[in-house]
Formats: sequence, structure tokens, C-alpha cells
Amino acid sequence: MIQFKDVSFTYGAYEGQLPVPAVDHVSFHIRKGSHVALLGRNGSGKSTIARLMNGLLLPDEGEVFVSGMNTADAHDIVEIRRRCGMVFQNPDNQLIGATVGDDAAFGPCNLGLPVGEVKSRVEESLKRAGLYEMRDRAPSDLSGGQKQKLAIASILAMKPDCIILDEATSMLDPVARREVMALILELKNKHGISIVQITHHMEEAVLADYIYVISDGRVALHGTPADVFDQADRVRAEGLAVPTHIEIAHRIAKAAGAAYHPDEIFTFEGAVAFTRHALRFIEDDQGAMGRAAALSSAGEKSEDSCHVSLSGQGAGCLREEKTDCSAGPAAHCEPVIEVENLSYTYDTHTGEPVAALTDVSLTVGRGEILGIVGHTGSGKSTLIQHMNGIIPSKKNTVRVLGRDLSERRTVRDIRRHVGLLFQYPEDQLFEETVALDIAFAPKQLERNPEEVEKAVLRAARRLGVESVLQRSPFELSGGQRRRVAIAGVLAAEPDIIILDEPAAGLDPAGQDELFADLLTLTSEGATLLIVSHDMETMARLCHRMIVMKDGRVAGDGSPNEITASAEFLESVSLSMPPSKSFLNCFTDRYPALDTSCFTAADAAVKLLLAAGGAAKADEPPAAPPGEVSNGKDKTHARAEFPLNRRTRQP
Amino acid sequence: MRSRSMLGRSVPGTSLIHRLDARVKFLGAVLLMGAALMVRDVRALGVLALWTVAVIIISRIRVILILRSIRPLLFVILFAVLVHVLTAEGRVLLQLGSFRITEEGLISGGLSALRLAFMVINTTIFLTLTTTPLDIADALESLLSPLRFLKFPVHEFAMMMSIALRFVPTLLDESTKIMKAQSSRGADYDTGGILHRIRGLVSILVPLFVSSFRRADDLAIAMEARCYQSGASRTKLHIAKLCARDIVFIILVIALFLMVLFGI
Repeated sequence: MIQFKDVSFTYGAYEGQLPVPAVDHVSFHIRKGSHVALLGRNGSGKSTIARLMNGLLLPDEGEVFVSGMNTADAHDIVEIRRRCGMVFQNPDNQLIGATVGDDAAFGPCNLGLPVGEVKSRVEESLKRAGLYEMRDRAPSDLSGGQKQKLAIASILAMKPDCIILDEATSMLDPVARREVMALILELKNKHGISIVQITHHMEEAVLADYIYVISDGRVALHGTPADVFDQADRVRAEGLAVPTHIEIAHRIAKAAGAAYHPDEIFTFEGAVAFTRHALRFIEDDQGAMGRAAALSSAGEKSEDSCHVSLSGQGAGCLREEKTDCSAGPAAHCEPVIEVENLSYTYDTHTGEPVAALTDVSLTVGRGEILGIVGHTGSGKSTLIQHMNGIIPSKKNTVRVLGRDLSERRTVRDIRRHVGLLFQYPEDQLFEETVALDIAFAPKQLERNPEEVEKAVLRAARRLGVESVLQRSPFELSGGQRRRVAIAGVLAAEPDIIILDEPAAGLDPAGQDELFADLLTLTSEGATLLIVSHDMETMARLCHRMIVMKDGRVAGDGSPNEITASAEFLESVSLSMPPSKSFLNCFTDRYPALDTSCFTAADAAVKLLLAAGGAAKADEPPAAPPGEVSNGKDKTHARAEFPLNRRTRQP
Repeated sequence: MRSRSMLGRSVPGTSLIHRLDARVKFLGAVLLMGAALMVRDVRALGVLALWTVAVIIISRIRVILILRSIRPLLFVILFAVLVHVLTAEGRVLLQLGSFRITEEGLISGGLSALRLAFMVINTTIFLTLTTTPLDIADALESLLSPLRFLKFPVHEFAMMMSIALRFVPTLLDESTKIMKAQSSRGADYDTGGILHRIRGLVSILVPLFVSSFRRADDLAIAMEARCYQSGASRTKLHIAKLCARDIVFIILVIALFLMVLFGI
């Protein structure tokens, strides 16, 4: 279907700019009807490869063939693009029609098809995507997920053989992402359309038939998902993550000295069954148990590349230090934000008032890391915009640092204490240099130039952007721009920092690095509020979580309390963190199993300890009682270690 | 968060006015605008008022939406009234220092307010609320098509128009978001001197321009990926044919226009 023959591509080769090599002698062949995932860090060359596939870019060297047609042949280019439709990342920037129906008709009209044919194709493809009822609506009225489904429908109307998704789900929430994936899988399974998917989400990558990991414009790793994720260290070295259940099974296998086949632990159920088996082996065999204890403590330190779980463990140790704060709103910590019976309605353009918040009450304690989770439209963004007065509040509903935000003068004053970072904050950069942009906030505070400069340096250093201070923010990569934007908020040195999806769109390693940097803020007494859809990361990082649903607070408690019931999570459209749902499969075997952990490493240790405990209960004299508690102490010591190491890194 | 502005947003519906041909509505709106500007006597104004009320009722658009569409122009209307009231000569009703309020001033002020209101209401109903931006672009393309003989790229122009209109809501949302983000960084757009405010605008406009260019880039690639080729012949999806109601409508509007022009 799509064939790359020794393809190279360099940006800027023809425009007299500094050439930037993006694709370096890549060859592969994508078969008809297959589902291929392209993975790799931000800037590894994935998108360039995608654009070479349908002739949006032409190779400098080598050739690309689509169904035997060369993309360099101008004659065939329309046919190639008809066969290989492409869905892009930003839902707002790829819809062309002024209505849903017109957008679906855009492609067929370009092909010059007769009007009747265009109309029937539009109807058919919109029905398939479940958007037919909305055919006369404007694209701006659709949700993000619906926009992406429309983009897919608009391609379907051209009757393609292949759909290329260039991070098409990265700006969506988990529910919308699953819906889009379901549509894609249906197209593949029912209609035999090939799928090429670029993604940072490993739960999407595992759905593919074949994976290519791209690094610096080359194929670094390829194989079936089971084979690729079996090479866990190499996958992590490429900045990617290994699905949690596979990682737990790897660790247990190592501890038990058990052999396995990559296919066997590839599915969640398979990994659970294998782990069950391996743990029973540990229970039975004393020698294995000793090895398990040794491995569960020593295994950590030897594993250099285990950055996926680093930030989580860091939070784990923070969480334990500050248990008094994590007890909930009644904690003895000094409250910094108090919200009482806050309601907010706004008018839509059709004149219907919509209740965005209804009777919301909550308290945030000093030094807390609070997660605000909830589905899209649950009121999270509206809530945080009240916390620095961007949305004015009524009397006595929002108090920050003890001051009521209903007064304008207070709001101006309070903004220097509350840093609010919106989603995709890189869009707000505007100055000529990074340094000037970061200095924007401290300058507004009328500080003297030396103080401003110091604040800029401190913020830049914290986010690792001090080397680009004199460059224009617009020539940086996306990840760096994100960091500059965050530094721009931190430079005002706020006491309370509110972040809306700070890691959205970053690759897994980039996300972990960013969160590790942000966590260091709390060690200096800052309060952190993080808004996110990502339950696993939030459960790992936060002391406490607040769940929003339809503008109300649906849950408020420690990550463990919030994730206690699968039914509750489902009722608020959130998913159970995978490490916890993995452990939940073992509570029948080990009733005393502590399921309150949100990283694969923690989960493996907990399982090993539980298996050790079970063995001890079966045969009391066999295991010395000290060993287990000893092992537990080591767990704690280990939990602290990675964070320290991270923060020491420049 | 949805922007509250009405700019470029149509309200879907099936009323008689919704179903009128966009070209007819476009021409009608232009003629009505002319009529509203030229109207002099009270009788003709009354007919225009009746017409406008009838249009509002037939369009079945909620009055609040129409009022909201006038809101941005309220300042202009008030200003016009004020100028008329304060400058007209005539029978003095009230003398405040050097300011005189005259009967004629009040009448002509009221007239100009009504005139502007009719103009805005009619154009909004015909061109914004009941017509999608794409229909307008199509209508323009059709109305401008004679220019093709002068080598004017009519189709490209229409495509440009329709895309510009499609992105109005997106850009409005974006500017709101940027403004909020910069306010969070301590920017203050409400106080301070004019220079300070202009400086403040930079922090909104630069990111807005940069993102618009990026959007334009993205969109161009997305259009290319969907086989768009400039200059190539495309299927014309909306082939509008004039029917009886369109002709009746345009005759009515022309009659109204002539009536105002010649004072009946």
C-alpha cells in the first residue's frame, strides 16, 4: 500500500535556511488493511514521515510509492491524496466547510464528482461517523471529539484506502479519544481501510498490528506491539512508556525468575494471569521468595532508564511526608483558597443560559498538591478561572489567602500570588526574546530591573530553558515553548500555581520531566493545583483530588479514596488508573493487599510483598518476620531516591 | 468557553426568510440599507418599521438575539442621537448653559436612531442570522461571476471569504483566551493611559497573529491533503435557483426602496 524506499528529507534545503534533517534513509512497507503506529518523541520526524506518505512533502532522496504510484509524479498526486486521507492534530485548523455537511463535501467537490454523488457520499460518511443529525451545524459548535470525527468523515467521503492520523487524538479528552479510536477500528475492521497512526498514547499504540519507533528521523525499533514493548528499556530510552500491565508483569517475572512469551503478557488479562502464576511460584518456593525480596529492593537502583515512574515515586514520598494535608478539606493546613457555594451561569450564542458551576465548595490547604479531574465541560476550567478573578465572583464565594475576590482591587493584588496557566500556554508568548517574555509578569509587578532579571533567571533555570533566553520564542520547539510559557507564569513567584493540562501533547518522557520539575515547587512551600484528564498521573502526583461532574463537586478525597470504586469513576466518565485496576485483580488472592499505588514499580513491589506475606502465613517458620518489614523500609527509602536524583540533574 | 459575540454566527431554522436565496437576501439587504439611510418622512419610516417587525416575526428568531446583535452598535446610535439633539436649530425645549435641546433636534435624533436600528436589524437578520457564511460566499461568487471576464479570480475570492467567515468564531475564542492568559500574568487592559493600553494590545495581537498564521498554514496543508487545487474545477454543490418567493421578496424590497426614494 505505502512503500518508502531509502527516503531522506531535510527541511529548509530549498529556502536557503539552515538545513534541518528530519528523515534519514527510511525504508518500510505498510501493507493494505493493516494498522500501523508510528511512535517517537516530539520532533523525532514522525509527522514528516506522515506528510511524505501523501505527497504533502516530497523526498529529497529515495522514493515513496502509494499503491504503486510515485508521490513525486505530479500527475498522480490527486489520486494519491484521495487514497491516503489525513487527519491532523488540531481539530480547529483542518475543517474547511462552514457547516458539517459542507466540510464533508469539500473533498468530493475537489474531485469534481457529480452533485448527486457528492450528496450521497456526504450522507453516507456522516452517518457512519454519527454526525448526520448535525449536518447543518457550524464546525465551531462541535466538541473536539466531534470535530475529529468530522475530519475522518470528510476523508471517508473521498473513499480512501488509508487514513493517516497525525496525533489526531492528542488534543482530546480520554472519552473523546476512545470514541475516535472506536470509529477508526470500525473502519479498519469493517471496511478494510489501512490505518497509519502517529500517537503518544500507548493505549492506542497497543491496538496497532505493527509499531515503528522513530528516533532522529530513523526507524529505531519496529515489530508487533508485543515484541516492541517487551524491549522495555529501549522503549523508555526513546522517551516512550510501556503499558502498565506489561511493566508490572516484567518486574514480577524478573523477581520470580519466571520465563514468559511477550504475547502472553501483552493483554491486560494475560498479564494478570501470568502474574498470578508467577506469584504462586514465589509463595511456594522459599528460594524464589528471597530472590524476590532482593530484586524488589535492588532492581530499582540498577534500572537507569526507569524515568517513567520517577515522578510518581517522588510524589509518593511527598505524599507520605504531608499526610496531614491529604486528609481532606478538614485538614489542619492553613487554607489558601476557600470556595463556598459558588455558582456560575453564562449565555450561549443562542441565548440559552448554561450553568457552568452549581454550588461548588472546596478548600485548598497551603503546600497541597490538589488535582482537579473531570470530563470535558464539567466546569474545571470555569472553576480555576474564578481562583484568580479572571471570572468575577459574587461576594463571599471565593476567598484566596483570606481575601474576598469579589472586589476588583483585591483581584489585582491577588493575581501576583496566584499564577494561572491555561491549556496550550505556548500560544500566549509574544515578546522578541524568551527572556523578555518570561519578564512580562514580574515587570507588571513594578519590581526593579535587577529583581526582574533574577526572577527570570530563577524561573528559566527551574524549567531548564536558560540556554535559550536570548532566542525568539517562536523559533523553539513545541515542548520548549511550553516550558518558556510556564516559566513566564512562575517568574512572578506566585504562592499558588494553577495549571490546566500542563503536559497535554507532550511525549511520555517529556510529561514526566515536566511534572518532576513542577513538583520541586512544592518543596519550597508553593501550593499546586493541577487540572487534568489523566487519572494515572494525577493519582500519582496529588495529595488530594477533586472530581467535577456537570458543574458540581462529585468527589473530594485522597487519590486512593477517589479511585476506590470503579462504578463511581465510570459515573463521572473517568478511568481507573491501570496500576490500581491491575492490583484490584489480586485482592481475592491477597485480601490484605495495599492497592493504593499508581505506578507499575510500586504495584510490583506491593504484589511481591503480598505474596511474601501469604507464604509466611502458610508456613510461619519459613520466613523470618524481620525480612518483610525490612523489605518495606527499603520500599520507602527507594521511593525517595529517584526524586533526589532528578532534582540534582541540571 | 463559547464567545458571546454574534459576529458571523447564523441561527439554524426553516422560516421563509431562512429559505430565501442568499443572493436575493444580499441584494435586498443592500437596498434596505439604502432605503433606511435615505428615509426622510415619518410615514415612510412607519412603513419601514412595519416591514422590520414583519421580518422579525416571519424569521422566528428570538428578539433577544436580535437585540444582542444591536448591542455593539448601541454606542454609535447614541452618539448619532446626541449629535442631532445638540446641534439642531428650532424650538427650544430646554436650555442648559450653551446647550439647547430643541424639538426638531429630538425628532431628527429619534429618526436617526430608528434609521440605524432598522439598518442593523435588517442586515443582521438577512445576512447573519438566517444565512450561513457559506451561503453568503456562494451568493457573492454568483453575483460577482460576471467579473470572471475581467480575469478576476471569483472562485478563489469566494473560498477566501467563506474561510475567513468560518474562522471568525475560532479567532474570537482565541483572543478571549489570550486576553485571559495575559491578565493572569498581570496585564491590565482596563486602566492606565492610552499608551499603556496600546502597549497592552501588543500582548494580545502578537500571539493572535502568530497563531492565525499557524492556523492558515495548517489549513492550507489540510486543504491540500483533501485534494484542493487552486484553479482546478470543482463540483458546485449549492446550485441555487430562484423560485417564486425569491422574486416576490425582491419585488417587495424594490417597491419599498422606490417608495422611500420618491417619497411615495
